[in-house]
Amino acid sequence: MRQTYGKLLPGMKLGDLAGKLIVVEGTDGAGRTTQINMLKPWLEELGHAVLDTGMTRSHLAGEGIRRAKEGNNLGRVTQSLFYATDFVDRLENEVIPALRAGFIVLTDRYIYSLMARAIVRGMDPAWIRGIYSAALVPDAVFYLRLDVEQLIPRVIFSRGFDYWESGMDVFPGQDMYENFRSYQAALLAEFDRLSVEFRFETLDASADTKLVFAQLQAKVQRVLEADSRRTYLSRMFEQAPSSATHREERAVTLPRETSTRDHDWAFHPVAANLSPGNGRNMPEHK
Amino acid sequence: MNTGSNMRIGPFEVFYPMGAPAPQLRHNGDHNLPGRLFVVEGIDGSGKSTQLSLLHKWLESKGYGVVFSQWNSSELVKDTTKLGKKKKMLTPATFSLIHATDFADRIERSILPLLKAGAVVLCDRYIYTAFARDVARGMDRRWVRDLYDFAAKPTVAFYFRVPLETAIGRLVTGRDGFKFYEAGLDIGLSDDPTESFRLFQGRIVEEYEKMIPEFGLTVVDATLPVEVQQAQVRQIVKTHLERAKDLRVRP
Repeated sequence: MRQTYGKLLPGMKLGDLAGKLIVVEGTDGAGRTTQINMLKPWLEELGHAVLDTGMTRSHLAGEGIRRAKEGNNLGRVTQSLFYATDFVDRLENEVIPALRAGFIVLTDRYIYSLMARAIVRGMDPAWIRGIYSAALVPDAVFYLRLDVEQLIPRVIFSRGFDYWESGMDVFPGQDMYENFRSYQAALLAEFDRLSVEFRFETLDASADTKLVFAQLQAKVQRVLEADSRRTYLSRMFEQAPSSATHREERAVTLPRETSTRDHDWAFHPVAANLSPGNGRNMPEHK
Repeated sequence: MNTGSNMRIGPFEVFYPMGAPAPQLRHNGDHNLPGRLFVVEGIDGSGKSTQLSLLHKWLESKGYGVVFSQWNSSELVKDTTKLGKKKKMLTPATFSLIHATDFADRIERSILPLLKAGAVVLCDRYIYTAFARDVARGMDRRWVRDLYDFAAKPTVAFYFRVPLETAIGRLVTGRDGFKFYEAGLDIGLSDDPTESFRLFQGRIVEEYEKMIPEFGLTVVDATLPVEVQQAQVRQIVKTHLERAKDLRVRP
């Protein structure tokens, strides 16, 4: 049975969330997005329906956060709460409905990034943890770790220094390079702490992209072969779970075209009612 | 990171790169700032806005630097709230969070700096509105209180207490129909807007009543004549101004 970090939101039901929630975490420039962009087509090729999501992609608050960040007057408490709004909107309206429909949800950053950013900005760690206590505990957190020294060239030679990624709102002075170093080092220290507390699986993100991807593939496969998923698949295809231990084998047993319409829905994003607004979670009052 | 420090909070070891959080941002604490913060609370139709506006005029006539801040009015956030309400996208949780975000922006950029500058700040609705509404929508009581941990504690929080039927009577004559979230139609208490409004506001009143002892709200009988209420409010406000040496007076 899936769990949250302590609280349930009104109307939140955890009983039938058959999908898998996989988090890819890491600091700015660690290659999270690149990896997710490779993982998604690979999983779809295997026949899994995949939802990918990430910060500021909510219908509700995404645009508002982008606009607020254009100016230089977004305070640290406001920022933390705006991101929390974005997170909960996606949690309730995208992530939970997708998990209910048996999707694999790949999320580019999760509450850990949001907590790290808030804590580095001086927010009370107990306060920010409390806000995210209704977040689902994921099936796995893959932490792409990169030292600041390795991170700097990646950032400089790809997109340059960004105001917020350099913590210009956190550190005094105008030196973007110095602030970038200080801010990213503080984030990294916080991430390392969180990685122990929340049992991240750490990957060395300085390695070749293909090598990191191969490692991620192996780890994701292990998650998919975990018991709850196998039970779910066997229910969907009325098959003994023991026969589907091997990935190749199972990939073959999930033909999207030949399966009957009854269980076909779980592997098609469109048929699974995931259009915006469809999975809106209204509370049920006694 | 020479300002960094480590400490333990519950089970977590915590690292503060910037030193510990500013104390006035925690635990709804007494802010110890030179300014004064007066807030009015109550259900729609209780007459609290009228009272606050009368207080505002009086304070200005006395020469104080007075600033007024309204619920749900942050320039950075209100478009998002509007979008959520218009498209009916808000759940109890996101309703709660977006209003907290709006409030945070006003606290950070307006209310706290003004209190530091010695202003008299007047708020039409404050954190108690969020506590009442969010809990009426099914949010956890403790969670919502913790969420607003960063708020400054008001000098006085007035609660304008009025029987539900009186408030509804005042409202139905003044307008045509209720809005979706205002009537609590999002939580499905009733399909009839007026009935839903009645039930939802009833829950809110229950929450307010619980908060009177919890937060020491100052109760004003909102069925009394406007002038009598205002005289009471001014009497109480006055005592908090006399002791304030650092209050900013208009030039």
